[in-house]
Amino acid sequence: MDDLVAELGASTPEQLAAPVNTVEEKWRLLPAFLKVKGLVKQHIDSFNYFINVEIKKIMKANEKITSDADPMWYLKYLNIYVGTPDVEESFNVTRPVSPHECRLRDMTYSAPITVDIEYTRGSQRIIRNALPVGRMPIMLRSSNCVLTGKTPAEFAKLNECPLDPGGYFIVKGVEKVILIQEQLSKNRIIVEADRKGTVGASVTSSTHEKKSRTNITVKQGRFYLKHNTLSEDIPIAIIFKAMGVESDQEIVQMIGTEEHVMAAFAPSLEECQKAQIFTQMQALKYLGNKVRRQRMWGGPKKTKMEEARELLATTILAHVPVKEFNFRSKCIYTAVMVRRVILAQGDNKVDDRDYYGNKRLELAGQLLSLLFEDLFKKFNSELKKIADQVIPKQRAAQFDVVKHMRQDQITNGMVNAISTGNWSLKRFKMDRQGVTQVLSRLSYISALGMMTRISSQFEKTRKVSGPRSLQPSQWGMLCPSDTPEGEACGLVKNLALMTHITTDMEDGPIIKLAGNLGVEDVNLLCGEELSYPNVFLVFLNGNILGVIRDHQKLVYTFRLMRRAGYINEFVSISTNLTDRCVYISSDGGRLCRPYIIVKKQTPAVTEKHMEELAQGYRNFEDFLHESLVEYLDVNEENDCNIALYEQTINKDTTHLEIEPFTLLGVCAGLIPYPHHNQSPRNTYQCAMGKQAMGTIGYNQRNRIDTLMYLLAYPQRPMVKTKTIELIEFEKLPAGQNATVAVMSYSGYDIEDALVLNKASLDRGFGRCLVYKNAKCTLKRYTNQTFDKVMGPMLDAATHKPIWRHEILDADGICSPGEKVENKQVLVNKSMPTVTQTPLEGSSVPQQPQYKDVPVTYKGATDSYIEKVMISSNAEDAFLIKILLRQTRRPEIGDKFSSRHGQKGVCGLIVPQEDMPFCDSGICPDIIMNPHGYPSRMTVGKLIELLAGKAGVLDGRFHYGTAFGGSKVKDVCEDLIRYGYNYLGKDYVTSGITGEPLEAYIYFGPVYYQKLKHMVLDKMHARARGPRAVLTRQPTEGRSRDGGLRLGEMERDCLIGYGASMLLLERLMISSDAFEVDVCGQCGLLGYSGWCHYCKSSCHVSSLRIPYACKLLFQELQSMNIIPRLKLSKYNE
Amino acid sequence: MDTQNDAPPPKQQPMIYICGECHKENEIKARDPIRCRECGYRIMYKKRTKRCILLYVWLPCFIFIC
Repeated sequence: MDDLVAELGASTPEQLAAPVNTVEEKWRLLPAFLKVKGLVKQHIDSFNYFINVEIKKIMKANEKITSDADPMWYLKYLNIYVGTPDVEESFNVTRPVSPHECRLRDMTYSAPITVDIEYTRGSQRIIRNALPVGRMPIMLRSSNCVLTGKTPAEFAKLNECPLDPGGYFIVKGVEKVILIQEQLSKNRIIVEADRKGTVGASVTSSTHEKKSRTNITVKQGRFYLKHNTLSEDIPIAIIFKAMGVESDQEIVQMIGTEEHVMAAFAPSLEECQKAQIFTQMQALKYLGNKVRRQRMWGGPKKTKMEEARELLATTILAHVPVKEFNFRSKCIYTAVMVRRVILAQGDNKVDDRDYYGNKRLELAGQLLSLLFEDLFKKFNSELKKIADQVIPKQRAAQFDVVKHMRQDQITNGMVNAISTGNWSLKRFKMDRQGVTQVLSRLSYISALGMMTRISSQFEKTRKVSGPRSLQPSQWGMLCPSDTPEGEACGLVKNLALMTHITTDMEDGPIIKLAGNLGVEDVNLLCGEELSYPNVFLVFLNGNILGVIRDHQKLVYTFRLMRRAGYINEFVSISTNLTDRCVYISSDGGRLCRPYIIVKKQTPAVTEKHMEELAQGYRNFEDFLHESLVEYLDVNEENDCNIALYEQTINKDTTHLEIEPFTLLGVCAGLIPYPHHNQSPRNTYQCAMGKQAMGTIGYNQRNRIDTLMYLLAYPQRPMVKTKTIELIEFEKLPAGQNATVAVMSYSGYDIEDALVLNKASLDRGFGRCLVYKNAKCTLKRYTNQTFDKVMGPMLDAATHKPIWRHEILDADGICSPGEKVENKQVLVNKSMPTVTQTPLEGSSVPQQPQYKDVPVTYKGATDSYIEKVMISSNAEDAFLIKILLRQTRRPEIGDKFSSRHGQKGVCGLIVPQEDMPFCDSGICPDIIMNPHGYPSRMTVGKLIELLAGKAGVLDGRFHYGTAFGGSKVKDVCEDLIRYGYNYLGKDYVTSGITGEPLEAYIYFGPVYYQKLKHMVLDKMHARARGPRAVLTRQPTEGRSRDGGLRLGEMERDCLIGYGASMLLLERLMISSDAFEVDVCGQCGLLGYSGWCHYCKSSCHVSSLRIPYACKLLFQELQSMNIIPRLKLSKYNE
Repeated sequence: MDTQNDAPPPKQQPMIYICGECHKENEIKARDPIRCRECGYRIMYKKRTKRCILLYVWLPCFIFIC
C-alpha cells in the first residue's frame, strides 16, 4: 500500500494545480456493466457454476460405488451433464419445452441429468453413456435455459418477455425464487467477547465432508479448546501435545515470544504440567477419554487414542488440511488463534460480526449443490444397498445396476425442496424453512426487487440492534433504503445496483503465485517467525499459507497481476495492519463492486474510453482487461482510498467511484430526488413501489396467473432517474403522471385522503384490470373411472339452460367473452362417487355414479371470461384454466401513492365542473392536502412537481437521479420561460364559486402509483350468514362471509358502561344462542323437558345459553368434571 | 369434455379449439388427447362465445335527447 501511496504522492505542484478533468459520461459504464453482469446475474452465475462445474466435482467426490457382497462389482461415474429443458411427449420421445408452456401447463421447467458410467455385470466391464438419473429444475436465463442468446424477436415467439430478469425456477407451474441467504463467513477466525466480557476465538470450519465449530475460550487465565465432539473443554497445551508439539518452548514460540504474550500463556502450560502430560501419547490418551462416543458404522474397531488422533485430524478445525497426520499447519493455526485471543484481551480488539467483510451470501447454486450432493449420496447408497441385497441371490439374469437406477428420487427431491422451500440436509444439520418464495408478479419492480433480496439467518424475535442496523461496510453493496418495516426490518436487505456476488474459484494458481511472490510455506517454519514484528501472515480463504517479509510488495504485485488479468478479477487481497496479516480470498459469496482505478491522481478511464464505449468498440470486460476498472470486495475496499467525485481525488486516492447513485438498489432507484427526502420516506416508497399496479412484462396478456393487476393506461414518469432507464422501467411502467394541485378542498381530504377528478377517471386515470384464474383438472382414477365435464343442464319447461349454467358451452366449459355473475358455473365437472379400486371378489363393476363438483364463480362483482385454456399436465390429466377479468375504475377508498412514501386513499370524487382550474384552463387530476408535507419533509416530491411541470412545458423528460439530476434553478428558469411562476405556483379559480382562490396553488404533474389495495377486495358486511359447525358461532374472515367480531376490548367498554342488554345481544342472541333444558334439582342438562339423571320432568326449566357454553359443559363432563347449574327465579 | 346430457343432446357437434402455437382450428372430441393435429402443441384455447354480449351502458344524455 505504501508503495502505491508513494508513487501517487510524487506529483509536481503543476499537476496539483491543473483543473480537474471530469469524465462527464462515466455513468455510461453502468449500462455496460449491467449488460455483462446485470441485476440477477449473481443468481444466474451461481447456478451456471453449479450445473457446469460444481456438479462434476460432486460426482468426482462420490464417483465409485462398491458392494460388500461382491468385491468384483463396482460402479464408477465417468461424467455427468445437465441437458436442456425438455418434456416427455410419449415414451422415450422428448421435445424441448419453453418456460411459458411450463407456466401454463403447471409443469416443472427441468432438464435431464445424465451420467456416463462404467460398471461390471458378472465379469464383464460395461461402459454406458448418457444414462438419465433424474431431472434438474433449470433457472431461467441460465446457460442451459432455452432463452439464452435469443433475440427479442425469438423471445416474442416463445411468449417470453425480453425484459424479464430470469434467475428463478418454474416448479409445477409456479415461479419460485431461491432468496439470497446471508451468513457469517466460514473458515475465518472471529475473535469475540461473550456476555461476561471474556474474549474467545471461534472458527466455523466447512468442507465438503464436514461442518464443525471450534472455539478457544479463556477460563481463569487459561486457554481451552471447546468443540461439540469433546465432552469437556481441553487445555490448549494438551491439544498442542496431542498434535505432536511436545516441547513447551516450541509451543510458546509459535504463540509468540513477546513478554506479555508469554506471561498470558504461562498458566496454560502450568496446567498441562499439573495434569502430568508430557508426550503425544499421554495427550492422546487424555483426549481419547474425553471424546464423545460416536456411533460406529462397521469398520475396524479403533482404540481411543486412534480415535482422538482421527478427531484432531478431521473434525477439529476441519478446513485445515492434515496429510498423513502431519499436524504442523493445524498447530500453527491453533497457535494463531490463541495469539489472537491474547492480543485481543487487553485492548478490546474484538472483531465485528456485523462487518460485511465477515459475511458471505449463499445463492441458488450453492444451496442447490448442497441439496444435490445429499440426494446423489442417497441415490448411491440406495444403489449399494440394492447391490448388497441382490448380488448374493443367484439369479438367471446377472445383476445389472442400470435397471435399478431410478430417476424419481433425485427429481422429486429437487422439486419438493424448491416448491416447499424446506431445505433439510441431515449431513450438515441444516433444516431451513422458507428458502424459496413465490416470485411476486404484482409489477415488474416487485419481481426485480425479489431477485435482489437478501434474507438473513438471524431470528426475527431477538432484540439485538446490531444485525439490523446499517453497517458502514454495506456502503455501495446493499441498498440503505430498501428494507421492510416491522419485524424483518434490517434483516431483509436488498442488493445495490452494481453489486456482484462472487463464485468459487480455483485456488491452486493463487497458492503458486503467492509462493513466487515470496510467501514462505508455513510448514517450513519453526514457529518463532510468526510473531516477528516485520513479518506478515498470509491467509488464503482462511487457511494459513505462510509468512511474508515484504507484505507491501506482495499486495502491490498481486494487484498488478490481477489488473493484468493473470489471476481472476474477483480474487481479493487486503492487509490487516492490526493483526499483521494479508488476506487473500477467492471463495464464493463475497460482495464486490467495480471502481475506476486512479493512477497518479488521474482516473484511468478517460473521455476517449467513454467515446469508444458509446461507439460500441469497447465493452465492460475490456475496461477490466485494460486495468481501467477493477472489482473490490468489502475487505479490499477497506484497504483503498476511494474518491466519490473527481474533484475530491488527492494524492492518496487509489480508486474513483463510478457513480454515487449506484449505492441505491432497484426499488430506491425509482425515487426522484431521494437525496432531498427524509430517509424513512424512501424506505416507505421502497415497500410501496412493490405494490404498485402497472405492467408485468410483454407477455402479460398470455399469462394465466392466480392474481394479476394491470393498469389500463400506464405512463412513463415525467421525472425519471438513471436507474429507471437502466432497469427499463419506462418500458414496463407502473403509474401515471397526474396533475396535482396541493390545496385543501372540501373536508374529504383529511388524513392524506385525495380528491380525484371524475372526468379524469372517465378518461382512464387509475383504471385497472384485475385478472383472476379458475383452475380444474380432470383426473383418471385407479378403478378405470374418470372425471367428466357435462353440458349445461336444461330447464324442463323452456329447454334453455338453467341460470347457473347459462354461460356453459356444449362442452360444459364457459367460453371467452361471457359475463359471469356470482355463483354461476364455470366448469360443470362431475366426479365418480367411488374412486378406489374395488376389493377383489366384491360386486361386479357397474355404471359409475357421478356427483357434481362444479367450479363456480365467487365474487361480489361480475367478471368477464378473458380466456379459456385446455391442456394436459405432466400426469396426463386434463387441465382447464379460465382467466377472468374485471375492469375497475378508481372509487372512494382506493389507495394511491406518489413515489415519496406519500400514500393516501381516495376520499372524494368530484365532477370536473367543481374542480378548480388554473388560468390556462388546466384542471387537476388529484387534489392533495398540503398538510402532508411539513411533517413528512418530502422535499423530493416538491422538486418532482417542479421538474415535471417544466418537462411538460418543454416536451422533455427531466432527471431526478439521486445525488444529481436536473437542478431546481434550471427547472425554474424553464418555468419562467414559459410564462409560469418561478416557484411552480399558479393562479387558480374555484370551480364552485367561480372566484379566484385567495392563494396561489402549487400545481403540476407528479407520478402517482395505484396500489393493489382496493376497496372492492376488502368491503365486507354481514347480517346473517354461515356459522362454524362446532361452536355455532359466526365464521371468521371476509373470505368465509364472516361476522364482525365484538372483541374483548369492546366488551370491556360495554361492561364498563353497564350496557348489559347490548352485551347479551351481541355475545349471545346475535351469535350462538341455544335453548337448553336444565334440571333445577341436579343442575344437569336435560333433554326435551326430561332430566335423564333424576328421571323426572318436574324441575326442568328451559333457558337460553350460548351454544359454546353448553359445549363446554359437555366437554367437561367427558373429562369427568360435572358442571352443575344452580337455578333461581329472577324475580325472587 | 363429455356432451352426454340428461336431456336429449341438441346436436352432437364436436367442439372447436384453437391451437396456442399455430392458431389452427382443431376439432377435439371428449376424452381425446389435447394435441394440435398440425404442430403437436398441447395447449388449446376456446373460441370466443357466439352469443351476443350486450354492454348495456346507461346513457342519461340519450334520454334527454329523446
